[in-house]
Amino acid sequence: MSRFYYYLISINMVANIIASVPAILLHYHNDGAIISMLLSIAAGVLLVTLYTKFFLKYPGKTLPELLEKTTSKWFYLPFVFLLAVLWFVAGLITLITFTFLLIRYLSPEMPIILICLTLILSVIFGSILKTDRIMYTVEMIMIITSPLILFIFFKAYSSKSLNWDFVREAALYINQLPNWHSFSACFFLFLGAANLFIFNRFFTDKQKFGFRQIMFIVLISVGTLFTTYFIPIGFNGFEGINDLVYPWISTTDSIRMDYFIIERVLFMFLLFYLGIAFLSILIHWHAAVEFLKFIFKLEKIKYKDKVIGIFLPLPIFVAISLYFVTVLTEYQLFQYSSYFYDVLVFIFPGMILLFTYINRRMKNEESSPEN
Amino acid sequence: MSSEENIKWINEQFKDTNELTMKTLEDEDKKAELFYIKPLIDVGLLQQIVIKPYFEMQSETKYIRYLKALPQFQDSKSQEQLKTEVLNGNVVLFIQNKFYLLDLKFSFNDQTNTASVETTIHGSQLALSDNIATNINIIRSDYHQPTLYVEYSTIGEVNNHKLAIIYDKEKVNKNALNIITEKLQQVDKQVITSTVQLSNYINNKKYSLFPQLIMTERPDRIVYNLAGGKVILLVDGNPQALIAPVYFFDFMTSMEDNYHSFYISFFLKFLRYTGLFISLLLPGLYIGITSFAPEVFRTELALTIAGSRIGVPFSSFVEVLFMLFFMEMLLEASIRLPKTISATATTVGGLILGTAVTEASLASDIMVIIVSAVAISTFVIPINEMAFTIRVIRFFFILAATLLGLAGLTLALYAMIMYLVSIDSFGEPYLKFNEKKTSKTKAGEKI
Repeated sequence: MSRFYYYLISINMVANIIASVPAILLHYHNDGAIISMLLSIAAGVLLVTLYTKFFLKYPGKTLPELLEKTTSKWFYLPFVFLLAVLWFVAGLITLITFTFLLIRYLSPEMPIILICLTLILSVIFGSILKTDRIMYTVEMIMIITSPLILFIFFKAYSSKSLNWDFVREAALYINQLPNWHSFSACFFLFLGAANLFIFNRFFTDKQKFGFRQIMFIVLISVGTLFTTYFIPIGFNGFEGINDLVYPWISTTDSIRMDYFIIERVLFMFLLFYLGIAFLSILIHWHAAVEFLKFIFKLEKIKYKDKVIGIFLPLPIFVAISLYFVTVLTEYQLFQYSSYFYDVLVFIFPGMILLFTYINRRMKNEESSPEN
Repeated sequence: MSSEENIKWINEQFKDTNELTMKTLEDEDKKAELFYIKPLIDVGLLQQIVIKPYFEMQSETKYIRYLKALPQFQDSKSQEQLKTEVLNGNVVLFIQNKFYLLDLKFSFNDQTNTASVETTIHGSQLALSDNIATNINIIRSDYHQPTLYVEYSTIGEVNNHKLAIIYDKEKVNKNALNIITEKLQQVDKQVITSTVQLSNYINNKKYSLFPQLIMTERPDRIVYNLAGGKVILLVDGNPQALIAPVYFFDFMTSMEDNYHSFYISFFLKFLRYTGLFISLLLPGLYIGITSFAPEVFRTELALTIAGSRIGVPFSSFVEVLFMLFFMEMLLEASIRLPKTISATATTVGGLILGTAVTEASLASDIMVIIVSAVAISTFVIPINEMAFTIRVIRFFFILAATLLGLAGLTLALYAMIMYLVSIDSFGEPYLKFNEKKTSKTKAGEKI
């Protein structure tokens, strides 16, 4: 597979380490979190494989294009609109989580609207770029940020404060029944593959997706989930871990770099993770804009010969985000995103049925002569 | 047209100048008229290959055959061409109502320069000259390929400058070449005297911050880029060539990178990119950390910085702007001043001002260090145009850090990367790693 494919998959996984996923997982730490994680890995990898195999069949085609060819208008227009909303909300969750993080840890005296606006304004114009440019942006920012983030993970694993006894204690809870919310939160990590709905446009070449590639994804996901769940426990202890609002922030704040000019790893972690969050919002919102573009044919809206249609969703995005960032509390955000993940567990596997339908229709179309 | 009419026509064309020389050669039954602009042509050569043989030859037909055999002989299609060719240093001969053109241009500006803007320690020290023919000669003698293609045209309505578009016909990026030639046709400025000016016009974007063409004086860079499929533009009378399309990383490579062993050039590149980030981010970081999040640094360092800021009456961003502004002034001054005075200016500005400012507590000691570090790092960027851009962009980062703190600074960096990725240079993405990937997707569908 092209390296850009792995960016899509891994950004969705890594971005959620800091967001509400670990909080949800750790909330159920003695209530079947581990077995849910294992189950979600199985289910998630299966989903990723099916999604990827499906899109590999139609190189360069986006899902809306395929739907337009195979289904009727009354179905695909509302459906794509639903997708746009889902993608927008996925970006919104990351945005609000990061706004809360920044105001809590980096600049507490700044108004929350201003912080949120900074984040939005830096991302928003990116979301109307062309798809290939988004991918190149992703690559550039990954190259800048990922070495430092990996370094921080290395510091975490090699830290003396990491107590493996806590990890072992947590691992003992494997024998509980799986829990629905933790399963859905973990499952969300795998939905990076769903970005192919739009980003498949970028993968025009024939790609290989076999056993090795699948094993690679399994490895990434196991690594990410293990780190997400066990490292905070190793640092903070097994009891009371569910009281932490941002387990990962507290964890990175326990790491010190003794000889460097920045002593507290937290700040480096926050600023470089901001890059990952930036990319995650960028990818989600780009897909959302593309879905909207497809439904409302935004390129055709012109004013004095200038295409202004693609700018139309942006003020709406900004307004909705600003509204929610002022209204929501951290607890509500945690709750609502948990519900959102629950809903996704139903929608995305269900889409595989749609894929089989599209496959059949496409086959008919190919076999029947062109008219 | 009869001979008289021709003469009348050409005199009509040049009626507003007094420099056109007309000579009549007459010998027995032969007669020829000569027109030229004296300061432009090589008089010795004219005497030796045109006038002397004329009197030695038996007949006019033989002389015409002789003229046609001369290497300086130029094919001419139209009468209109005559005017420009005479202005380019050609001699027109009228024999039997037909005209013949000989290129006898004499040029003083064909001396090659030594590299002064992009200096290197190793490798060739040769730079382009002012003369377009000499420049093409230099390029051709460095790039031995039969596919090297040179197109000539003229630009500037008033001064009709000669322009050469050079590329390797096999390797050239066809898409970019089309865009360039299209844009060149759209340039309708009255006077174009330099390549830089031309680059601003074909760029088509009035407000683009990042340079879309590289300007270079080094033939080795030209050859290197020709082999990479790029297009070179040369304007007569300019010791600089333009290279398009460009990628951001082209501005960060010095030709010397090729002349060192791997580890050394890796080290040099590392220095350069570190310099880039320092000169962009350091002032912003200083503001963000001192004013918004002093706890980011380890305690000792935070205390040192706070200590050095004791007594400074401004907030950190005023301090930064104040010092940076003077540094930029100093830079400008030292470029414009004559060499003999510029040393004094830098001493007064850099040393005396620096010490005095800290003693008067108008800026902290650390601020002075930061400003000098920033100034030095800016010079690490090998291509001047990019260094200028970085100097401007830096102020955006300072603004972002002032308004929005460290998060603002970081996001500004990410947004700048996104902006760089989004812009094109003649159809090529400005910031990209893998050249093959894009050309493939380009062949595919719209993205």
